[in-house]
Amino acid sequence: MGQGTPGGLNRQGPGGDRKGDGADKKDKKFEPAAPPARVGRKQRKQKGPEAAARLPTVTPLSKCKLRLLKLERIKDYLLMEEEFVTNQERLKPQEEKAEEDRSKVDDLRGSPMSVGNLEELIDENHAIVSSSVGPEYYVGILSFVDKDQLEPGCAILMHNKVLSVVGLLQDEVDPMVSVMKVEKAPLESYADIGGLDAQIQEIKEAVELPLTHPELYEDIGIKPPKGVILYGEPGTGKTLLAKAVANSTSATFLRVVGSELIQKYLGDGPKLVRELFRVADDLSPSIVFIDEIDAVGTKRYDAHSGGEREIQRTMLELLNQLDGFDSRGDVKVILATNRIESLDPALLRPGRIDRKIEFPLPDIKTRRRIFQIHTSRMTLADDVNLEEFVMTKDEFSGADIKAICTEAGLLALRERRMKVTHTDFKKAKEKVYMQVSSRFGFFPFQILLWYCYPGCSFSFISPIPKKDYLT
Amino acid sequence: MAPDPNSASGSGTKDEASVKVPAKDPKKKDDKKDEDLSEEDLALKQQLELYVERVQDPDPGLQKVALESMRTEIRTSTSSMTSVPKPLKFLRPHYGTLKAYYETMPDSDLKKYMADILSVLALTMSAEGERESLKYRLLGSEGDIGSWGHEYVRNLAGEIAQEYAKRQTDEASIDDLMELVQEIVAFHMKHNAEPEAVDLLMEVEDLDLLVEHVDATNFKRTCLYLTSAAKYLPGPDDMLVLDIAYMIYLKFEEFPNALQIALFLDNMQYVKQIFTSCDDLLRKKQFCYILARHGITLELDDDMVPDDDDRYALQDIVNNVKLSEGYLTLARDIEVMEPKSPEDIYKAHLLDGRASAGASVDSARQNLAATFVNAFVNAGFGQDKLMTVPSDASSGGSSGNWLFKNKEHGKMSAAASLGMILLWDVDSGLAQIDKYFHSTDNHVIAGALLGVGIVNCGIRNDCDPALALLSEYVGREDACIRIGAIMGLGISYAGTQNDQIRHKLSTILNDAKSPLDVIAFSAISLGLIYVGSCNEEVAQAIIFALMDRSESELGEPLTRLIPLGLGLLYLGKQESVEATAEVSKTFNEKIRKYCDMTLLSCAYAGTGNVLKVQNLLGHCAQHHEKGEAYQGPAVLGIAMVAMAEELGLEMAIRSLEHLLQYGEQNIRRAVPLALGLLCISNPKVNVMDTLSRLSHDTDSEVAMAAVISLGLIGSGTNNARIAGMLRNLSSYYYKDANLLFCVRIAQGLVHMGKGLLTLNPYHSDRFLLSPTALAGIVTTLFACLDMKAVIVGKYHYVLYFLVLAMQPRMLLTVDENLKPLSVPVRVGQAVDVVGQAGRPKTITGFQTHSTPVLLAAGDRAELATEKYIPLSPILEGFVILKENSDYREDH
Repeated sequence: MGQGTPGGLNRQGPGGDRKGDGADKKDKKFEPAAPPARVGRKQRKQKGPEAAARLPTVTPLSKCKLRLLKLERIKDYLLMEEEFVTNQERLKPQEEKAEEDRSKVDDLRGSPMSVGNLEELIDENHAIVSSSVGPEYYVGILSFVDKDQLEPGCAILMHNKVLSVVGLLQDEVDPMVSVMKVEKAPLESYADIGGLDAQIQEIKEAVELPLTHPELYEDIGIKPPKGVILYGEPGTGKTLLAKAVANSTSATFLRVVGSELIQKYLGDGPKLVRELFRVADDLSPSIVFIDEIDAVGTKRYDAHSGGEREIQRTMLELLNQLDGFDSRGDVKVILATNRIESLDPALLRPGRIDRKIEFPLPDIKTRRRIFQIHTSRMTLADDVNLEEFVMTKDEFSGADIKAICTEAGLLALRERRMKVTHTDFKKAKEKVYMQVSSRFGFFPFQILLWYCYPGCSFSFISPIPKKDYLT
Repeated sequence: MAPDPNSASGSGTKDEASVKVPAKDPKKKDDKKDEDLSEEDLALKQQLELYVERVQDPDPGLQKVALESMRTEIRTSTSSMTSVPKPLKFLRPHYGTLKAYYETMPDSDLKKYMADILSVLALTMSAEGERESLKYRLLGSEGDIGSWGHEYVRNLAGEIAQEYAKRQTDEASIDDLMELVQEIVAFHMKHNAEPEAVDLLMEVEDLDLLVEHVDATNFKRTCLYLTSAAKYLPGPDDMLVLDIAYMIYLKFEEFPNALQIALFLDNMQYVKQIFTSCDDLLRKKQFCYILARHGITLELDDDMVPDDDDRYALQDIVNNVKLSEGYLTLARDIEVMEPKSPEDIYKAHLLDGRASAGASVDSARQNLAATFVNAFVNAGFGQDKLMTVPSDASSGGSSGNWLFKNKEHGKMSAAASLGMILLWDVDSGLAQIDKYFHSTDNHVIAGALLGVGIVNCGIRNDCDPALALLSEYVGREDACIRIGAIMGLGISYAGTQNDQIRHKLSTILNDAKSPLDVIAFSAISLGLIYVGSCNEEVAQAIIFALMDRSESELGEPLTRLIPLGLGLLYLGKQESVEATAEVSKTFNEKIRKYCDMTLLSCAYAGTGNVLKVQNLLGHCAQHHEKGEAYQGPAVLGIAMVAMAEELGLEMAIRSLEHLLQYGEQNIRRAVPLALGLLCISNPKVNVMDTLSRLSHDTDSEVAMAAVISLGLIGSGTNNARIAGMLRNLSSYYYKDANLLFCVRIAQGLVHMGKGLLTLNPYHSDRFLLSPTALAGIVTTLFACLDMKAVIVGKYHYVLYFLVLAMQPRMLLTVDENLKPLSVPVRVGQAVDVVGQAGRPKTITGFQTHSTPVLLAAGDRAELATEKYIPLSPILEGFVILKENSDYREDH
């Protein structure tokens, strides 16, 4: 890249006119002239052309006239650039020239190109490569290859005859990680959460606002929290809240389950964690949600098996990523677990996880809201008095309430009624509360199917004789 | 400001929506909605509805109670910063009714109460652009504005700004608005929201109010905000803002800052005012150090300093008499007194054998390069290994030997290099240079004359030794001697506006018989001496000189320096240049556009004026069959204008990248130089990479310019990366004499003053621009636009113009008797703290050293001890420390 023109063919004697001499000279020399700064070391991805194109940062962050003026200044310059470039393109189109260059490069590359692996960079222009078959070769690197991006182990394109390096394949993100990215926002929004007002507020302050309104924190003069952990009994809405966050934010949302981080081969788990956070950094602002963190985050103790040790190493990598040497920019972390007491204290220390948000079992008010949310789409008979269930002494989690409502609906369905009656609810409550498992062993497949796919027709379900499961 | 555009309020509405959908009949809908709320909310809602009803009650007593309770309800509502307070939310549906009722109310106190509440409700309710909040506020009871909370005040401020703009166009009265503004500003200033107060006052164009409202706790932050905003405001607002900042600083006796602003405004009246309003001698001494660093000539008079002895002492400081001493103290402390030879800089042993073996270059050229490297590296140290080696009895002075290893014009630079080595040390400098005056070789005499000028650079002396020595040589026969004398005068008297010299040089300019090069250097010297003065007579003289040139002379590269001399007169003076620019339109077309560009670039240098950058960029966008010379100054002009502030600087680097891509050869030659100017003594990695790429360009002039610029961006930093690049370049270009010469010069620049010097014309936290320093750099760069004819030709001594920008990049703390005092200081990367809350750290990643210390580009220092109080808030250059009487050793 930084080498000027590639070597020409004509060779002149030394000490000719300077003009156009540089190219010839380079051919002759064994050593290249200006070595770029680095050879074959892994570079931070942000560097390179992107860094040059990046706009300067504007301080202060708070909304004020100075910031406006500064941003306007940048805009002015960008407009001038645009004007200049469009003018130039009009006067002297670069397209053709670029096209010509490109076809030249294509000629040099030849076709087809074989795909290989870069084993080692020897010097500026030479490398050892291997292809999937055969042996390793010592080959040259053509001058138009961006050497800054070459690093040992990357996939390269090679000329089909002389095997010289003619290009490189941009390595994409680990496919494991790209799967974690939530492409489609979940349907659950904050409105679907009954109660939990304090929790919503806390998570908003810790996760959403730092990404959307960093200036608020600047105003007050504090650093926004880095991450939060959601904990509480099963079914109290931890995952639901995370879904609502994903629904409401425009930031990239990456979700992982703790168990996904446990991998078959040694070192794969920590690598996955690293990849995960690297992707999060690349796509920042982003939110990383790790559900069931206790899968990897349990307290450390003397491990006996290699598997346990590997899990612990995965956690150590997680610790490092959460608050390690490299600072993460706009990446917020949400962890969720049922068992906060079993987690390693290092994971929970402030600085890694600044906020611990408890999800208690719903109180009466919340319970009412949850019932409302779940029954709002159901057709209820007039006699239904939800207050009775709301006021009950029994401990229900949000998930239990949902189960009651679903169960009541199912009961009504069983009797081919179009409305859900109070009795249905009562029975459903009994069922859910008592956890009567024996009858549930018979729970017909079709009903489950209907539960999973509410759209499927009743005729599909109807052949089941009632008595089969009602006695 | 719109009601908080946050998702919290959004989710509120979503909430309702999602509940409403499933409900089918309208009756149920209402129930549902109520059910949806918690009990307290419901109660609150009903309560508020009751109030709304009551307010419309005919009974005034009842009305009053209702209004009062509504008011308390709103005020007590505490809620997160992100969502709309509940009472406001519940009152939403009634806003219309209340408004309608308000219109029917008879005038009374109650009506005013009502207006207050409507005003608050309008915060979330009123449509964009209605400004109802403000309308009702003006109709209301004018109670304490802060009682309704911050968000309300902010919103009001925003509406005032809009209203003000509207009334300005309608030419309506603004008295009622201004009262409100007063109140809001007072509120903001009390609550740490200085930027908001300033913003509001800027909107209503009445910054004077600020002076009343600042107090000792917030004036610093206010002024910081003002000064940093000034850089981005369009004229003449920026001057106004700075004036206010100056007044505030003066009010709180923060004189050093006030002095900075006065210098920025180039307002000598203000400088005098500062001197007269301060009666502490020690502080005045500190002012003098600041003046001296800025490179300004100021005659202190009786008003400023009443006592004669004191005045002499102060004048000495302004005259920079102690600069050499301070610099040597620094050098001794850092232990770099040992002189270095050019070979120590080249470090050829780090390269493979080939480079040292390649001695194909003519040795005179190599020696000349070594002369420059030696001069730059040992600048100001008073000793070196080539020129000042104590003369051996047998050989009869080895310094003479080195001198005569140079050929012809090379001898001039060699002799002048002695001046550089003895920089700022007038007494011993003159004594040592004296021996060359008796030489029979004209070049040596010329060099000695130039050397005298260099020694006196930035130093004033009552006896004016430079003038006495040089003036008689100005009229000599030999062109070389004349140039030496003229250049010497220009360097030593830069910025002084010395009449005597003007007479002498003007006559040369208008003498038809003077050779072209003498005229060119006279123009430059006059430009330097009268830099930024807009002096009519000098301008006339240069214009006539330019008009007298014949067609063929106008084609000469040196002729191009004459318009530059003219431009320097208007350096940074913006509109003042216009008359002269008109005149320049009548010039011969060969030079007309060149002159135009030069004047424009110089006049707007250091202003950051975006329109001018656009103009210059427009000129660069044109393509000509044969490269036009005027595009070079245009490219440099972009850098000169944009270097004023950080953002412009970075954006200009981007723009220059485009120029490289699309520009013709003549533009590409200027781009490296422009980059060098933008990042002078500040080796930014991205610029370094660009220049390193260009240093291998196929066009040798581009490569030369890039190499020199590599030296400029690294000047005085000892930057290892640049040094390595240059070393490799030296082996790459070992066969090319011209390029090798440039590489050597660049190497000398990088190790300038063994890393103790800087060329950056910006100082005092990058706030002030020293005009003489900029003039020196610009002159060198303009000369570099035509490398082949000037730098690698026989006018290489223009490189000595860089001496004008050389300053030690140090912090030297002195005690009350001006003796160096070592104290611990923290040095770290400066942080932009404008508009930040609390007392943020001003430096980051600091290390603790004891003074004297070196400050790199972008570094800032702060005292690490409470024992002393610095007399200047900007810890750069010489800083006087005063003992802190409150200090207790803690044990």
